[in-house]
Amino acid sequence: MSIFNFFRSSAKTPATQAKERLQIVMAHERVGRSGPDYLPMLQQELLAVIAKYVDIDQNKVEVKLDRGGDCSTLEVNIELPQPDQERKPDGKPANAESKPPLKQAAAGGAALTKGGIKRR
Amino acid sequence: MSKIIVMTSGKGGVGKTTSSAAFATGLALRGFKTVVIDFDVGLRNLDLVMGCERRVVFDFINVINGEAKLNQALIKDKRVENLYILPTSQTRDKDALTKDGVDRILKELVKEFDYVICDSPAGIEKGALMALYFADHAIIVTNPEVSSVRDSDRILGVLNAKSRRAEQGMEPVTQQLLLTRYDPERVEKGEMLKVDDVLEILSINLLGVIPESQAVLRASNIGMPVILDEKSNAGQAYLDAVGRFLGEDVEHRFVKPEKKGLFNRLLRRSA
Repeated sequence: MSIFNFFRSSAKTPATQAKERLQIVMAHERVGRSGPDYLPMLQQELLAVIAKYVDIDQNKVEVKLDRGGDCSTLEVNIELPQPDQERKPDGKPANAESKPPLKQAAAGGAALTKGGIKRR
Repeated sequence: MSKIIVMTSGKGGVGKTTSSAAFATGLALRGFKTVVIDFDVGLRNLDLVMGCERRVVFDFINVINGEAKLNQALIKDKRVENLYILPTSQTRDKDALTKDGVDRILKELVKEFDYVICDSPAGIEKGALMALYFADHAIIVTNPEVSSVRDSDRILGVLNAKSRRAEQGMEPVTQQLLLTRYDPERVEKGEMLKVDDVLEILSINLLGVIPESQAVLRASNIGMPVILDEKSNAGQAYLDAVGRFLGEDVEHRFVKPEKKGLFNRLLRRSA
């Protein structure tokens, strides 16, 4: 490294970025390799539970998984229907209070530490 | 002693065939009777890289199907004593490789040869699976580049789960990394993954680093394994790697940029 580099900004080099990206993606792939992909099932079961209480539109459900270096976030967005369309289990219309779409974010506990990826 | 060695990578175009040809030649140069088999059914190329394309009469698939004897399909190298090539079929597809068929041929070869090198096709499908299934040792050929590293990790997973040794609960297939097309100058500039980075990511031992070299193309153009070009960096790096494979303690070369004079450095900087 020459003296010129000393004055350059301390931005990550492309090689460093490549290494970090690989470590993150491969840590997840190694975990995923050992078990089945549970996201579709998780989505179905979550929906089944919510549908028990609220009449929801299956197309207005979004399940997102954001894989980060230190922790992963599972985000479930379910848009609730307008109050007048909503029905309680007893068949009566729900209260007239309007609700914003239910947003729920759950931080996945399966955090993977950056430096300590172990093979399979 | 390891006898069956697979040269594999997952990703295509990283240098499996070049490395298979070089490595087999290197082992033969050391006096070991060695055969190198092309598992890339339908896309035969080892014959070209080894320079024996005009001598192919029968192939690996013919032998599996009982259409030819093993000795009829084996091609003896004209330059190096103890070196044989088993080419594959250019017309058939991967389904022609059966586990029983490959097993039978490998058993026959192991009796006669010190080392059997299996040149794997790219991918993780049948051809690649057959090439690695019976292996005792795997050489993972990787370029210092994200997609190659990721695919190598994938193929390591396959080796640990789907090889014969894994399925039968035997000692696992031993694994070593051969990092090819390495450019120390780009590494120095922070443009390319370092050897140590790749080793850390894949948690694997290093067999060798082959520098990016014009000698590789020159050698394949004339059908000569690059290891025979002893003046080239790549040829020397392969010779070193063969030594290390045989248990010798050889220092890694070609991992640092070549020292340049002040004049050259100034020229480069202004360029």
